[in-house]
Amino acid sequence: MIARRRGAGLPVGILVLVLLPLVLMPIAAVFVFALRGGLGEFWEAFKNEDAQFALRFSLLIAFLTAAINAVLGTFAAYVLAKHRFPGEKPLTIAINLPVAIPTVVVGTSLLLLWGPIGLLGKALPEGLQPMFTPGGVLLAHLFVTFPYMLGAVKPLLDELEVTYEEAAFTLGAGKWQTFRYVILPALRGGLFSGTLLTFAHSLGEFGATVMVSGNLRLRTQTAPLYIFAQFEAGNVAQANAVAAVLAALSFVIFFFLLRYSGSPKR
Amino acid sequence: MASRPSALPDRLALVAGAALLLYALWPWLPVPGRAETPRTVVFYGFSILGEALNDDVLPAFARHWREKTGERIEFATAFAGSGTVTNQLIMGVPAQCALLSLELDAERLAKAGVIPAGSWRRLPHGGVVNRTPFVLVVRKGNPKRIRDFPDLARPGVQVVHPDPLTSGGANWALLAEYGSAARRNPGQEGKAGFASLLGVWKNVTAQAASARAARTQFENGFGDVLVTYEQDVVEDAAAGTLPGEIVYPPSTVLSEHTLVVVDKNLDPADRPVLDALVRFLWSEEAQRLFVRRGFRSVDERLNGGNPAFGRIQDPFLVADFGGWDRVKEEIVDGIWKERVMPEVGK
Repeated sequence: MIARRRGAGLPVGILVLVLLPLVLMPIAAVFVFALRGGLGEFWEAFKNEDAQFALRFSLLIAFLTAAINAVLGTFAAYVLAKHRFPGEKPLTIAINLPVAIPTVVVGTSLLLLWGPIGLLGKALPEGLQPMFTPGGVLLAHLFVTFPYMLGAVKPLLDELEVTYEEAAFTLGAGKWQTFRYVILPALRGGLFSGTLLTFAHSLGEFGATVMVSGNLRLRTQTAPLYIFAQFEAGNVAQANAVAAVLAALSFVIFFFLLRYSGSPKR
Repeated sequence: MASRPSALPDRLALVAGAALLLYALWPWLPVPGRAETPRTVVFYGFSILGEALNDDVLPAFARHWREKTGERIEFATAFAGSGTVTNQLIMGVPAQCALLSLELDAERLAKAGVIPAGSWRRLPHGGVVNRTPFVLVVRKGNPKRIRDFPDLARPGVQVVHPDPLTSGGANWALLAEYGSAARRNPGQEGKAGFASLLGVWKNVTAQAASARAARTQFENGFGDVLVTYEQDVVEDAAAGTLPGEIVYPPSTVLSEHTLVVVDKNLDPADRPVLDALVRFLWSEEAQRLFVRRGFRSVDERLNGGNPAFGRIQDPFLVADFGGWDRVKEEIVDGIWKERVMPEVGK
């Protein structure tokens, strides 16, 4: 680590000056506006039935997305880290693709596959079509957040000495036991930060969701969609109350994230 | 191995996570004494209907239905530009009925096989639930002295307009801009209408996806004048909360809003509720509620019920220009899209 030097004042000052209008002031504006009408008004807007539904729905989707992708992502990381096979590179790229695809494109592609006029959706019976239902929102979020778990876990797996596994194996541990008692504990930090990242991203997902959810209040309207709809309708206070809650939640998540990814790994 | 952070934040994270999960799940937990989930009616509408339906008309209907049958119903509603709603319906959203801002969108639905052709014409008033004239909203004190559509064409006037691609209101606005000029120049309708559209559209500085979104842009400080539904601004103007004032052009169109029932999304069990709801929308009670919320009723006698309504010397309807089929082909596509927009783009 580079030792802290004196004379950092100027560059740090410039950095803060740059960050102020770019990042810090917009976030502050959300809270200033949220509380401008007083706590009472904020509470009224927050209590609104639609707002409550949207927040709860977003949280549930985020929990589900995080849980499912925690398992799928860890599995993908394990397969990619521990096995050498032809086509490994293309597969790795494919799995990481969602990071680069615009989320609106993800929504469009899901609609064109699963939608009522989509390639597969056409063949599904009416009740099973996932688009414009909570299932569709979940599908979109699983897609968009898939790489985060992989990104958090795979580097740890790559660096994990094979000797630990071999030692466990020679001591008579089975494959599952080795995974459960040797590998999993080593991945703890990565699992945690990967799950949090997935959760946070799902909570704020907009581009894909707006395409596949149908934006039905009390049915499929997530918190970000609620914010957008209310803002467009000119109900700034309503929109902003939920925006402030989302922002606060992401701060908390980020705090835990820093604790886990920021602590020295070894 | 990791020198782990102390256990306290770990626990804290766990507790916080659990609390969040409990909060999220709460409405779906089987808490004793909670009423069973009510029957849901899915109602889509175009952008400016939100308040009138969510706050007044639909709750009034739910009350009547409960008194009559004892059954609780809940409305799931979604509001967006009429074209957006139509596209969503074509893509298969589970709407059971929809109130569109123009008949053209109903025809698009019929063409896509979502509803039977012409099914809305069998409803009362040919499916038209209510109306509202197209007006101009200017900044307080009318600093640019805008009185009529031709004033929008003056150099330096910035016009906020919804996008005809996704907004039904924008299509009505096109007809208002064309029609008011055409009616003043008998014998030269086409030429006058084209000139009027070209003048307005040269000055359009912001286009929003829906009439409501256009209004939000105007309120956020964009432009000098907004072309929109009287309904969307009349309530706030009367209450003094509109950041601007309404200008009634001497001649303008009355938009007519069409109801469609999507039979294929209807369970046989939902049929009686839907039929009752459709009847209720044209009942005097519902029409009065619409009038209170700034819509003009299809029943002229009720329109005295809102003192804020302004007077229009020469109101006209889409029927005066041969109906939406013709207006779409000859005016929206034939003149605005093919002649005005390329000219504006130059």
